[in-house]
Amino acid sequence: MVEADTRILLDWDSLEVGETFDTYEYLLTQEMVDTYRKGVMDPEASFPTISHKVDVKQYNTRYRDAGSVNARCAFFCYNPPIAGKKISVRAWIADKYLRRGKNYIVTEAVSVDEDGRLIDRVITHELKQPTEVGKKWGG
Amino acid sequence: MGRVGVGPIRRYEEGDELPPLVKEMTQEAINLFEGSAGQSGPSQFTDKETARETLGTEGTVASGRMSLSFAIEMLRRYFGSEVFNHAGTMDLRFLRPVRPGDTITFSGRITGMSREVNGSRVSVEITVVNQRGDTTAAGQGTAVVPNAFLPQDV
Repeated sequence: MVEADTRILLDWDSLEVGETFDTYEYLLTQEMVDTYRKGVMDPEASFPTISHKVDVKQYNTRYRDAGSVNARCAFFCYNPPIAGKKISVRAWIADKYLRRGKNYIVTEAVSVDEDGRLIDRVITHELKQPTEVGKKWGG
Repeated sequence: MGRVGVGPIRRYEEGDELPPLVKEMTQEAINLFEGSAGQSGPSQFTDKETARETLGTEGTVASGRMSLSFAIEMLRRYFGSEVFNHAGTMDLRFLRPVRPGDTITFSGRITGMSREVNGSRVSVEITVVNQRGDTTAAGQGTAVVPNAFLPQDV
Protein backbone atom coordinates (compact mmCIF):
# COMPACT_ATOMS: atom_id res chain seq x y z
CA MET A 1 0.00 0.00 0.00
CA VAL A 2 1.37 3.39 -1.00
CA GLU A 3 1.33 6.03 1.70
CA ALA A 4 -0.44 9.28 0.87
CA ASP A 5 1.80 12.27 0.25
CA THR A 6 0.83 14.65 3.03
CA ARG A 7 3.23 17.38 2.04
CA ILE A 8 1.93 20.84 1.17
CA LEU A 9 1.60 21.58 -2.54
CA LEU A 10 3.87 24.56 -3.19
CA ASP A 11 2.09 27.86 -3.84
CA TRP A 12 5.01 30.03 -4.92
CA ASP A 13 3.04 33.27 -4.51
CA SER A 14 2.24 32.59 -0.87
CA LEU A 15 5.64 31.17 0.09
CA GLU A 16 7.12 33.49 2.70
CA VAL A 17 10.74 34.60 2.57
CA GLY A 18 12.19 33.96 6.01
CA GLU A 19 10.24 30.76 6.59
CA THR A 20 12.46 28.47 8.63
CA PHE A 21 12.50 24.71 8.71
CA ASP A 22 12.94 22.19 11.49
CA THR A 23 16.59 21.54 12.31
CA TYR A 24 17.86 18.57 10.34
CA GLU A 25 20.40 16.28 12.00
CA TYR A 26 22.46 13.45 10.57
CA LEU A 27 25.55 11.44 11.39
CA LEU A 28 28.34 11.92 8.86
CA THR A 29 29.93 8.50 8.43
CA GLN A 30 33.32 7.61 7.00
CA GLU A 31 31.50 5.64 4.29
CA MET A 32 29.67 8.83 3.24
CA VAL A 33 32.98 10.68 3.05
CA ASP A 34 34.67 7.90 1.06
CA THR A 35 31.78 7.53 -1.37
CA TYR A 36 31.64 11.28 -1.93
CA ARG A 37 35.37 11.39 -2.63
CA LYS A 38 35.03 8.59 -5.19
CA GLY A 39 32.11 10.38 -6.83
CA VAL A 40 34.01 13.64 -7.23
CA MET A 41 37.27 11.83 -8.04
CA ASP A 42 39.15 13.77 -5.38
CA PRO A 43 40.68 11.80 -2.48
CA GLU A 44 41.12 15.00 -0.48
CA ALA A 45 37.66 16.46 -1.03
CA SER A 46 36.88 18.09 2.29
CA PHE A 47 33.20 19.01 2.18
CA PRO A 48 31.10 15.88 1.60
CA THR A 49 28.24 17.92 3.03
CA ILE A 50 27.77 19.34 -0.49
CA SER A 51 26.16 16.14 -1.74
CA HIS A 52 23.70 16.03 1.17
CA LYS A 53 21.78 18.98 -0.30
CA VAL A 54 20.83 19.96 3.23
CA ASP A 55 19.59 23.38 2.21
CA VAL A 56 16.62 21.90 0.33
CA LYS A 57 16.12 18.70 2.33
CA GLN A 58 13.69 20.17 4.83
CA TYR A 59 11.95 22.18 2.12
CA ASN A 60 11.31 18.92 0.28
CA THR A 61 10.02 17.36 3.49
CA ARG A 62 7.45 20.12 3.93
CA TYR A 63 6.53 20.86 0.30
CA ARG A 64 5.83 18.96 -2.89
CA ASP A 65 6.19 20.55 -6.30
CA ALA A 66 7.07 19.72 -9.90
CA GLY A 67 10.73 19.36 -9.04
CA SER A 68 13.56 21.80 -9.49
CA VAL A 69 16.79 22.60 -11.22
CA ASN A 70 19.78 24.11 -9.47
CA ALA A 71 20.42 27.43 -11.18
CA ARG A 72 23.05 28.85 -8.87
CA CYS A 73 24.84 27.70 -5.74
CA ALA A 74 27.13 29.53 -3.34
CA PHE A 75 29.19 27.68 -0.77
CA PHE A 76 31.18 29.04 2.16
CA CYS A 77 33.87 26.84 3.74
CA TYR A 78 34.55 27.25 7.47
CA ASN A 79 35.79 23.91 8.80
CA PRO A 80 35.82 20.51 7.07
CA PRO A 81 33.36 18.14 8.75
CA ILE A 82 34.72 15.16 10.66
CA ALA A 83 33.41 11.64 10.06
CA GLY A 84 31.66 10.21 13.11
CA LYS A 85 30.27 13.57 14.19
CA LYS A 86 26.60 14.49 14.19
CA ILE A 87 25.81 17.50 12.05
CA SER A 88 22.90 19.88 12.64
CA VAL A 89 21.52 21.99 9.82
CA ARG A 90 19.39 25.09 10.10
CA ALA A 91 17.72 26.07 6.82
CA TRP A 92 15.33 28.76 5.68
CA ILE A 93 13.81 30.42 2.63
CA ALA A 94 16.23 33.25 1.93
CA ASP A 95 14.52 34.77 -1.11
CA LYS A 96 12.26 34.13 -4.07
CA TYR A 97 12.13 35.90 -7.42
CA LEU A 98 10.61 35.85 -10.84
CA ARG A 99 12.95 36.07 -13.83
CA ARG A 100 11.89 35.83 -17.47
CA GLY A 101 8.55 34.47 -16.30
CA LYS A 102 10.17 31.66 -14.29
CA ASN A 103 9.86 31.12 -10.56
CA TYR A 104 12.93 30.74 -8.39
CA ILE A 105 13.32 29.91 -4.70
CA VAL A 106 16.50 30.67 -2.77
CA THR A 107 17.25 28.45 0.23
CA GLU A 108 20.05 28.95 2.70
CA ALA A 109 21.47 26.56 5.28
CA VAL A 110 24.17 26.58 7.93
CA SER A 111 25.76 23.36 9.22
CA VAL A 112 27.32 22.96 12.65
CA ASP A 113 28.72 19.78 14.18
CA GLU A 114 28.02 18.33 17.63
CA ASP A 115 31.01 20.19 19.10
CA GLY A 116 29.70 23.51 17.85
CA ARG A 117 32.20 23.82 14.99
CA LEU A 118 30.80 25.86 12.14
CA ILE A 119 31.11 23.67 9.03
CA ASP A 120 29.70 25.49 6.03
CA ARG A 121 26.98 27.70 4.63
CA VAL A 122 25.20 27.07 1.36
CA ILE A 123 22.83 29.25 -0.65
CA THR A 124 20.98 27.68 -3.56
CA HIS A 125 18.79 29.23 -6.27
CA GLU A 126 16.37 26.67 -7.63
CA LEU A 127 14.29 27.07 -10.77
CA LYS A 128 10.91 25.56 -9.99
CA GLN A 129 10.03 24.75 -13.60
CA PRO A 130 12.49 21.92 -14.28
CA THR A 131 11.07 21.06 -17.73
CA GLU A 132 12.69 24.28 -18.94
CA VAL A 133 15.93 22.29 -19.11
CA GLY A 134 14.51 19.92 -21.73
CA LYS A 135 12.84 22.77 -23.63
CA LYS A 136 16.01 24.84 -23.77
CA TRP A 137 18.70 22.22 -24.12
CA GLY A 138 16.80 19.37 -25.72
CA GLY A 139 17.58 15.76 -25.05
CA MET B 1 60.64 35.41 13.93
CA GLY B 2 60.22 32.66 11.37
CA ARG B 3 56.95 31.43 9.92
CA VAL B 4 57.04 27.96 11.36
CA GLY B 5 53.96 25.84 10.79
CA VAL B 6 52.38 27.73 7.89
CA GLY B 7 52.00 26.71 4.27
CA PRO B 8 53.89 27.98 1.24
CA ILE B 9 54.21 31.73 0.88
CA ARG B 10 53.01 32.92 -2.49
CA ARG B 11 52.52 36.25 -4.21
CA TYR B 12 49.15 36.67 -5.94
CA GLU B 13 48.74 39.00 -8.91
CA GLU B 14 45.69 40.09 -10.82
CA GLY B 15 45.56 38.19 -14.10
CA ASP B 16 47.30 35.09 -12.74
CA GLU B 17 45.83 31.90 -14.20
CA LEU B 18 45.11 28.90 -11.99
CA PRO B 19 46.12 25.42 -13.16
CA PRO B 20 42.99 24.09 -14.91
CA LEU B 21 41.09 21.09 -13.59
CA VAL B 22 39.64 18.51 -15.99
CA LYS B 23 36.92 16.04 -15.00
CA GLU B 24 35.33 13.28 -17.06
CA MET B 25 31.75 12.86 -16.00
CA THR B 26 30.43 9.33 -15.80
CA GLN B 27 27.12 7.90 -14.66
CA GLU B 28 29.04 5.91 -12.05
CA ALA B 29 30.49 9.11 -10.58
CA ILE B 30 27.04 10.70 -10.53
CA ASN B 31 25.58 7.65 -8.79
CA LEU B 32 28.34 7.72 -6.17
CA PHE B 33 27.85 11.44 -5.57
CA GLU B 34 24.10 11.04 -5.13
CA GLY B 35 24.47 7.86 -3.09
CA SER B 36 27.03 9.36 -0.73
CA ALA B 37 24.24 11.15 1.10
CA GLY B 38 22.16 8.00 1.37
CA GLN B 39 19.84 8.90 -1.51
CA SER B 40 18.85 5.59 -3.04
CA GLY B 41 15.64 6.34 -4.95
CA PRO B 42 15.54 7.24 -8.65
CA SER B 43 16.18 10.87 -9.49
CA GLN B 44 16.84 13.03 -12.53
CA PHE B 45 20.52 12.38 -11.84
CA THR B 46 20.45 8.60 -11.67
CA ASP B 47 17.46 7.43 -13.68
CA LYS B 48 16.73 8.18 -17.36
CA GLU B 49 12.97 7.83 -17.02
CA THR B 50 12.83 10.21 -14.05
CA ALA B 51 15.00 12.68 -15.96
CA ARG B 52 12.63 12.46 -18.93
CA GLU B 53 9.59 13.07 -16.74
CA THR B 54 11.09 15.81 -14.57
CA LEU B 55 13.39 17.67 -16.94
CA GLY B 56 12.19 16.63 -20.38
CA THR B 57 15.66 15.41 -21.28
CA GLU B 58 16.52 12.11 -22.96
CA GLY B 59 19.03 11.15 -20.31
CA THR B 60 20.32 11.92 -16.87
CA VAL B 61 22.25 15.05 -15.94
CA ALA B 62 24.82 15.70 -13.24
CA SER B 63 23.85 17.79 -10.24
CA GLY B 64 25.23 21.30 -10.36
CA ARG B 65 26.64 20.53 -6.95
CA MET B 66 29.15 18.22 -8.62
CA SER B 67 30.49 21.16 -10.61
CA LEU B 68 30.50 23.15 -7.37
CA SER B 69 32.63 20.42 -5.75
CA PHE B 70 35.07 20.45 -8.69
CA ALA B 71 35.42 24.24 -8.65
CA ILE B 72 36.12 24.08 -4.92
CA GLU B 73 38.74 21.41 -5.59
CA MET B 74 40.51 23.67 -8.11
CA LEU B 75 40.71 26.53 -5.61
CA ARG B 76 41.67 24.26 -2.72
CA ARG B 77 44.59 22.88 -4.76
CA TYR B 78 45.66 26.41 -5.68
CA PHE B 79 45.39 28.12 -2.30
CA GLY B 80 46.10 25.04 -0.17
CA SER B 81 43.65 23.30 2.12
CA GLU B 82 44.91 25.24 5.17
CA VAL B 83 43.65 28.41 3.54
CA PHE B 84 40.72 27.45 1.36
CA ASN B 85 39.01 24.96 3.69
CA HIS B 86 38.65 27.64 6.36
CA ALA B 87 38.13 30.84 4.40
CA GLY B 88 37.10 29.87 0.89
CA THR B 89 33.92 30.65 -0.99
CA MET B 90 32.48 29.57 -4.33
CA ASP B 91 29.51 31.01 -6.19
CA LEU B 92 28.58 29.28 -9.45
CA ARG B 93 25.77 29.81 -11.93
CA PHE B 94 24.83 26.69 -13.87
CA LEU B 95 24.30 27.58 -17.50
CA ARG B 96 24.04 24.27 -19.36
CA PRO B 97 23.46 20.67 -18.29
CA VAL B 98 26.47 18.42 -17.74
CA ARG B 99 25.77 14.85 -18.83
CA PRO B 100 27.50 11.50 -18.45
CA GLY B 101 30.24 11.30 -21.07
CA ASP B 102 31.05 15.02 -20.91
CA THR B 103 34.55 16.24 -20.22
CA ILE B 104 34.45 19.50 -18.32
CA THR B 105 37.38 21.85 -17.82
CA PHE B 106 37.54 24.34 -14.98
CA SER B 107 39.58 27.51 -15.46
CA GLY B 108 40.32 30.30 -13.04
CA ARG B 109 41.91 33.74 -13.25
CA ILE B 110 42.62 36.16 -10.43
CA THR B 111 40.53 39.27 -10.88
CA GLY B 112 41.37 41.23 -7.77
CA MET B 113 42.71 41.46 -4.26
CA SER B 114 41.53 43.44 -1.28
CA ARG B 115 42.88 43.89 2.22
CA GLU B 116 41.16 42.14 5.11
CA VAL B 117 41.92 42.43 8.81
CA ASN B 118 44.22 39.39 8.87
CA GLY B 119 45.21 38.99 5.25
CA SER B 120 44.08 39.54 1.69
CA ARG B 121 40.94 38.40 -0.07
CA VAL B 122 41.85 37.00 -3.50
CA SER B 123 39.01 36.85 -6.04
CA VAL B 124 39.03 34.34 -8.86
CA GLU B 125 36.81 34.30 -11.94
CA ILE B 126 35.71 30.75 -12.71
CA THR B 127 34.69 29.36 -16.10
CA VAL B 128 33.63 25.81 -16.88
CA VAL B 129 33.44 24.52 -20.47
CA ASN B 130 32.58 21.13 -21.91
CA GLN B 131 34.34 19.24 -24.71
CA ARG B 132 32.37 21.20 -27.33
CA GLY B 133 33.54 24.52 -25.90
CA ASP B 134 30.13 25.35 -24.44
CA THR B 135 30.18 27.13 -21.10
CA THR B 136 28.36 24.98 -18.55
CA ALA B 137 28.97 27.16 -15.50
CA ALA B 138 30.55 30.45 -14.49
CA GLY B 139 31.08 32.35 -11.32
CA GLN B 140 33.51 33.55 -8.74
CA GLY B 141 35.51 32.07 -5.92
CA THR B 142 37.40 33.80 -3.17
CA ALA B 143 39.89 32.94 -0.47
CA VAL B 144 41.10 35.05 2.39
CA VAL B 145 44.82 34.36 2.49
CA PRO B 146 46.26 35.05 5.97
CA ASN B 147 49.20 37.42 6.24
CA ALA B 148 51.40 34.49 7.30
CA PHE B 149 50.91 32.99 3.80
CA LEU B 150 51.78 36.23 1.97
CA PRO B 151 55.16 37.84 1.27
CA GLN B 152 56.03 40.35 3.96
CA ASP B 153 56.07 43.26 1.49
CA VAL B 154 52.40 42.80 0.50
